[in-house]
Amino acid sequence: MTGMIQNRTSFLENIAEKLGRNPITKGVHRPSYKHTPQYEVLKTATRDELVSVLASQCSNIHVQFMETTADHLAEQVKTAVRSYGGGPVSVWKDERYAEYGLTDLVEKEWPHEQTLVHVWNDDLGEENIRLSEKANVSIVFSDITLAESGTVVLFTGKNKGRSMTLLPKHFIALIPQSTLVPRMTQAAQIIREKIKKGEAVPSCIQFITGPSNSADIELSTVYGVHGPVKATYIVISDR
Amino acid sequence: MSIKIGVGDFKERVHEELNNEFMRGAVRGAQERLRIKRLDEAEQLGNWEEWRSLGEEIRQHVLNHLDYYLYELSENVAKRGGHVFFARTSEEASQYVKEVVQKKKAKKVVKSKSMVTEEINLNSYLEEAGCEVIETDLGEYILQVDEDHPSHIVAPALHKNKNQIREVFKEKLHYSNTEKPEEITAFVRKHLRNEFLTADVGITGCNFAIAETGSITLVTNEGNADLVMSIPKTHIAVMGMERIVPTFEEMEVLVSLLCRSAVGHKLTSYVTAITGPREEGEADGPEEFHLVIVDNGRSDILGTEFQPVLQCIRCAACINVCPVYRHIGGHSYGSIYPGPIGAVLSPLLGGYEEYKELPYASSLCGACTEACPVKIPLHELLLKHRQVIVEREGKAPFSEKIMMKAFGLGASSDMLYGLGSRAAHSALKPFTKNARISKGPGPLKAWTKIREFPAPEKERFRDWFKNREGGKQS
Amino acid sequence: MKVSLFVTCLVDLFKTNVGKATVELLEHLGCEVDFPESQICCGQPSYNSGYVEETKDAMKHMIKTFEHSEYVVAPSGSCAFMFKEYPHIFKDDPIWEPKARELADKTYELTQFIVEVLGVEDVGAKMEGKATYHTSCHMTRLLGVKEAPIKLLRNVKGLEFTPLPGAHLCCGFGGTFSVKMGPISEQMVDEKVSNVESTGADYLISADCGCLMNIGGRMERQGKPIRVMHIAEVLNHRG
Repeated sequence: MTGMIQNRTSFLENIAEKLGRNPITKGVHRPSYKHTPQYEVLKTATRDELVSVLASQCSNIHVQFMETTADHLAEQVKTAVRSYGGGPVSVWKDERYAEYGLTDLVEKEWPHEQTLVHVWNDDLGEENIRLSEKANVSIVFSDITLAESGTVVLFTGKNKGRSMTLLPKHFIALIPQSTLVPRMTQAAQIIREKIKKGEAVPSCIQFITGPSNSADIELSTVYGVHGPVKATYIVISDR
Repeated sequence: MSIKIGVGDFKERVHEELNNEFMRGAVRGAQERLRIKRLDEAEQLGNWEEWRSLGEEIRQHVLNHLDYYLYELSENVAKRGGHVFFARTSEEASQYVKEVVQKKKAKKVVKSKSMVTEEINLNSYLEEAGCEVIETDLGEYILQVDEDHPSHIVAPALHKNKNQIREVFKEKLHYSNTEKPEEITAFVRKHLRNEFLTADVGITGCNFAIAETGSITLVTNEGNADLVMSIPKTHIAVMGMERIVPTFEEMEVLVSLLCRSAVGHKLTSYVTAITGPREEGEADGPEEFHLVIVDNGRSDILGTEFQPVLQCIRCAACINVCPVYRHIGGHSYGSIYPGPIGAVLSPLLGGYEEYKELPYASSLCGACTEACPVKIPLHELLLKHRQVIVEREGKAPFSEKIMMKAFGLGASSDMLYGLGSRAAHSALKPFTKNARISKGPGPLKAWTKIREFPAPEKERFRDWFKNREGGKQS
Repeated sequence: MKVSLFVTCLVDLFKTNVGKATVELLEHLGCEVDFPESQICCGQPSYNSGYVEETKDAMKHMIKTFEHSEYVVAPSGSCAFMFKEYPHIFKDDPIWEPKARELADKTYELTQFIVEVLGVEDVGAKMEGKATYHTSCHMTRLLGVKEAPIKLLRNVKGLEFTPLPGAHLCCGFGGTFSVKMGPISEQMVDEKVSNVESTGADYLISADCGCLMNIGGRMERQGKPIRVMHIAEVLNHRG
């Protein structure tokens, strides 16, 4: 269903007039920019080097950094959740949990030890928000990871709530090493490639860098203003 | 339309603010910290001047094709089921938002920080519609509770100390803990969490709209904008019409410049690109999305010598280096936009009548121009305002006009200069003691209020040179 | 090398020693210095107050004055910079823009001239004492001369050079700003004086008389013993 557009014509005509010409609605192309420093950043870095950059950046952004292999991921996740005081835990309905060997943990181990697990499932509708609100930890997979800034990029959407990672006090991002890129430059390129191939842009793409924070009171940094107080990144180095 | 804050005239406000010791200490400290952080990040990034030039290129390209990109943006927002309202005036914008909110029978609105919504006085329209409006940005929330105005465009409550905040919260919200920022924050988190969960409508600004995809980008450290746009059923985004880029690739460049220049971070904790309302079946995100695109005087700046000011990405780097802002603080400017960017923008959006002093409240030191990540020639624009005030607006004081005319004549005529300069020594002799003037007449009066002034020497340099030449062997 | 001295109105009337030191210094470095007599003022006071038309005659006067000079050297960063602005002020004027450009291209601030044109970094100066240097805003940010004065000062024998904290902060002169916005200028100069004092220096050196008169005038009023000197006077000191 197409949305409504109001008052556009006169608004744009006015702009064109001020610019001394007629309105243009097509045929403008992005220029070849004279300056392109963004492609130089971490240009020659290997995957391993990107992991190092990420690890080092984590200490600047108040994020606990862990590294493991797929075989040991479930253990590490369990440890991280325990370090945050246990459940309830919110996860997305996402095949990657199974792919990375977390099914047992999510479906058997945690429930067995009385750790509540909420799987964000669209069928639950608004109840998802209420359940995430009650959760202590959210755990998601990163779609693209920006080494330079320590950022996880989440393509949220169906069965992958956008508010899920904000509501609980603790946030864990699972990062397959293969998702690492130098910086947002590459993420932007990847997104545009998808668009050119005809994919729809996800309704919400979140670039999340560490826990929520603010320096609004006397410029003193505090964490967990509205979002998580603490965050952990677990890099899966063999995937 | 109202960017105006505070009462009295400029000189009165300055006088009051100069006596605000806490504010001055807070601003000094903030400037030091934020300046160093910006410089550190710039150095770490490398090629900072290249980045600035790229930022300038992107912004200039967009401004010169603004109608095209707004057209593309609106088409793409509508394709995704979002509604777009183009508002020429602030009243049109606020009225539209009010109508949406009324149609939804909304009682509670949560807002994330947005300078343009302050510009259009949105909150008062919403309150008229019987809505409770809650600011969720920590700084803005503090100001809302205290019924105060922002003094900085990125850190709006900079002028408040934690004890003041504690007192206000105690009085208005029954807060009973200490003044420690962590405790105040934990209280606000709990208090506002409930508001997010029960709000009917969420209103945000827009840091950068992306034309190619019909997206809007929200940049925060707190994540409050993400909650505002994901939980309430209706999301309204209000944007200044110039806050737009062609694609994700330009967005990432400007966000990189913004985060480093504003708060010395490579990226803020939450940079979120939203495209339209929620997709079919999604369990959160708005069911209805509205984008309000605001002109409010910006188009009058296009095509004029002031057009570069529209390149602004609202990072406040200029505010953080301004030696005048350092002492007088944000409230002195009498506008929601303070500092160098405010001194250029406020006369354009708010008129010369109200803001004619601001372009003169600058020593033209150029620190702002040097700091701007998108290379707005701020100090040059301040000078242009002075030229407009003198030549087009005719708002310069009459006595000054006479003095400047006399100066112009004296500085272009050997004879007049000769007369004047030779006479200076004897004319000022009555005021001179030990080659110094401590209480000067006319224009020297203001100077000598706090400084000594050197008396004009009996022998001007040129006389010395001439006499020397005469005695010199050629 | 023939050099025309653009002495500046402030020096001509109030700081003649600076002019004398400049001439002697340039002659010591092997230059033949002339003084085109019809020079008056670069026009900054009225131009920076917004009076463009009123100032154009004064600027044309200066352009004519230096028409036959090979090099124009001024002991002032802000006045030298003003000459660099002339081509923009006379933009699109078919007669005056080219003349203004010619003048702008051959104008130098004193230390800039010594280091960049004469290629000299040690002028053989000698002066005992502890000194700090005030970087004037127009000279550093607008004219772009940052290194030259420091290089020259570091080679003055006997001079203990100490950096000035808060050097990036404007001293509050800004020409007419200092009188138009008196209370604000006062705060700015007081912070500058406090920074100067904190260095423990005997001398405050600068390359702009406006700044020196501002900071020096304030310190004198406050009875502070720190002496202000123009860099020309320091560099011309030989014993």
